[in-house]
Amino acid sequence: MKFASKNGKSKSMSSAYKSESIACYLMILLPLIGFIVFNVYPILWTFRWSWFSYNGIDSQAIFVGWENFKTVFTTDTTYWKVWLTTLQYGILKVPIEMSLALFIAVLLNRQFKGAKMFQALFYLPNVVSVAIIGLIFSNMFSYWGVVNTYLVEWGIIQAEIDWFASKWTAMFMLVLGGVWNTFGVNVMYFLSALINVPEELYESAEIDGASKTRQFFSITIPMIAPVFQTILLLSLVGTLGVNDYILAFTGGGPSGQTLTVMSYLTRQFVPGFTDSTTPALGYGCAMSFMTTIILTTIALVYNKLSGKLKTVY
Amino acid sequence: MLLIYAVMILISAVVLFPLLYTLLASFKSNMELMTDPGSIIPKNPTFENYVTALKSPDFNVPRLLWNSIYYTLINVLVITATSSMAGYVFARGNFPFKRTIFVCFSSLLFIKTGMLGIYATFKVLNVVNLTQSLWALIVYHIFSVPVVDIFLVKGYVQSLPIAMDEAAKIDGCSFFKTFIYIIAPLLKPIIATIAILSFKASWNEYLMPTIFTLTQPSQRTLMVGLMALKNSGEAATSWNLMLTGSVIALIPVLIAYSFGNKYFIKGLSAGAVKG
Repeated sequence: MKFASKNGKSKSMSSAYKSESIACYLMILLPLIGFIVFNVYPILWTFRWSWFSYNGIDSQAIFVGWENFKTVFTTDTTYWKVWLTTLQYGILKVPIEMSLALFIAVLLNRQFKGAKMFQALFYLPNVVSVAIIGLIFSNMFSYWGVVNTYLVEWGIIQAEIDWFASKWTAMFMLVLGGVWNTFGVNVMYFLSALINVPEELYESAEIDGASKTRQFFSITIPMIAPVFQTILLLSLVGTLGVNDYILAFTGGGPSGQTLTVMSYLTRQFVPGFTDSTTPALGYGCAMSFMTTIILTTIALVYNKLSGKLKTVY
Repeated sequence: MLLIYAVMILISAVVLFPLLYTLLASFKSNMELMTDPGSIIPKNPTFENYVTALKSPDFNVPRLLWNSIYYTLINVLVITATSSMAGYVFARGNFPFKRTIFVCFSSLLFIKTGMLGIYATFKVLNVVNLTQSLWALIVYHIFSVPVVDIFLVKGYVQSLPIAMDEAAKIDGCSFFKTFIYIIAPLLKPIIATIAILSFKASWNEYLMPTIFTLTQPSQRTLMVGLMALKNSGEAATSWNLMLTGSVIALIPVLIAYSFGNKYFIKGLSAGAVKG
């Protein structure tokens, strides 16, 4: 089949190749149209209006050149503040989640009785909607809620804490809920990597008298390194791009201090989430465009650093 | 060994606590929820909240539930159909620009266009006379590019022996007929995985349905309704409705997960191992 088509391509289009091509295009027609209309066009649209002062009414748009980008870089401290919050959230969440997931995966890989059941259980939080996670955790951490009640009863804190009132307590909740939500996915990823590590390596290390810790760092880690890089990339991209979870949980509070970059853009410009009726869309497009570039750059730099330039799958 | 079990049970407790707590809280009276929210076991278990939830005019659970159901089912059907066809095409098809199109689709994994593009999306939908509504969002999803699902099918088809396709071709099957009669029936396991993953994603979706049903509260899905309640003025006195609503919203995904967790796991590991 492959040969037939290659010949067809280099010489003239055979009728079989032609009809197969038509069939192929028809079968991917919906995503292909969608790609152009709902992915490429919005990107171009965002790029275009980045150069305008624009509030949604085309006839009132004024071309401003580099002005929007200049403002982002020179005067808009809020934008860079939400980037800082985004990085803080990532730096707190990713390492906790990764080490916890790896630790659990290593334990589960011992294939003890019930390991499969625990594995299924740990993945459970991932099927829960971020909207519901925001709701449940908000209730548990509310002032008279179950968390405060028990912390006071056990004498860990003197009096109830308003968890939503300061940046770092709110951040603590977000990280906790975030890890709760996604660590199970990473447990799965790690397990599927660990299963492929040949048992003989451990056996011969055992004979050579290597300790369990030594085995972990000299065999397990190097053997799963390639998959580890991918898992870390996925976690990084997911965490830095976090959006609706923040809005559903703290709503960015207190006073916007836990807004990450994506949730900030949503809160500023997206109907239903913004308070403004005529948001400065031109400026928003410039910010959105820069955010995309920064996030993509982080992913690319990470890929380059980890010495792996091929795509994830 | 004992230590491992201790760790496992401890983590399981942390994983299960928020869900069990919510389930139990949904059986508390609103009085108890407001005066003694710290308790875990309800003192006087009651179904009152479920009755209220089913009858409440502002938080119309039957309506929200119905919207969630048809929205999710249509999305699942569409995504399984488009991703299995596209996966097959990219695995077995030969056509001009195949590689280019595939790379373009894959790039969507990394390029986050951001939410501002929603304005452009509305422009496109307006051109075909679709105003903001849940149906418009369904149309939007019909034209979506389910990249990860396409990868899953492509990988699965590539693992099938190509001799089958060739035999079908010799017997006079066209490219499309080969898909319908030979390949599609073999895709059942991977279709189950995709169906269950997209079920979870659509059922839980919150951002897009919120935007699309902004002017049409009667078309809200369950998640949108729950968050609208949380952000409304009565949030503090509506915990009974919110927690009960959460339980109702959780039941379908939990049932799907308990029956299909091996498909969830398969979908995930299939994605990771290829890395």
